[in-house]
Amino acid sequence: MNSVGEACTELKREYDQCFNRWFADKFLKGESAGDPCGQLFKRYQLCVQKAIKEKDIPIEGLEFMGPSKGKTENST
Amino acid sequence: HPWETVTTAAMQKYPNPMNPGVVGVDVLQRQVDAGGKLHSHRLLSTEWGIPAIVKSLIGTCRTKTYVQEHSVVDPVKKTMELKSRNISFTNLVSVDERLVYKPHPREPDKTILTQEAIISVKGVSLSSYLEGLMANTISSNAKKGREALEWVINRLNAEIEEFTASARGTMRNSMAAAAFVEK
Repeated sequence: MNSVGEACTELKREYDQCFNRWFADKFLKGESAGDPCGQLFKRYQLCVQKAIKEKDIPIEGLEFMGPSKGKTENST
Repeated sequence: HPWETVTTAAMQKYPNPMNPGVVGVDVLQRQVDAGGKLHSHRLLSTEWGIPAIVKSLIGTCRTKTYVQEHSVVDPVKKTMELKSRNISFTNLVSVDERLVYKPHPREPDKTILTQEAIISVKGVSLSSYLEGLMANTISSNAKKGREALEWVINRLNAEIEEFTASARGTMRNSMAAAAFVEK
């Protein structure tokens, strides 16, 4: 299955594999502590956010869509 | 199928042959809340087989429609709720769907799915024919959805069998090698 951003598909696959294993082996059995997929997810998410902005997809109601939060502008 | 099987399959529903229009799935956000429930926000990209000539006229970026999906899985109460809404550039028709998967109250090896859809059309007077048509499509899609999960469950079981068979084969080979060395 592909990602909305073509460049993100590989990152997505790695994350999905990690998540699916954790979901079935840990989460559903009541062991949700720990996040073995956190790093993979961060890298994958950054890629997807960029793709969504580039394609101008109107996502509703999710905080991650703030583009310039935390960025400071340099004045010359 | 038991609730755990159905829920695991639902998280990996795409790709499947019953939903060829879904071409992309992405996780936008995911976290376990304070109550231990897993929230996932996903974006599904769908493509409806628009003829190439139409694509070249309207530009390829506008041929995809997107569905935003929010799911909540409660592993203690054993419920999975999915809410999805289509988002598209035209926004004339929106379809909100809600699905809930729960274990069957009397048969633990089965799962019950309740599904509802709300169709809204903006700025256009609703014709009952159009509504009826969409309602039919949605109910046949519901059947397709069950078939799709059945397909995913079979695929996951086949993968497990393949893995077990190859693990057994590997063990047999190493045992034979060990026996040979001992002689």
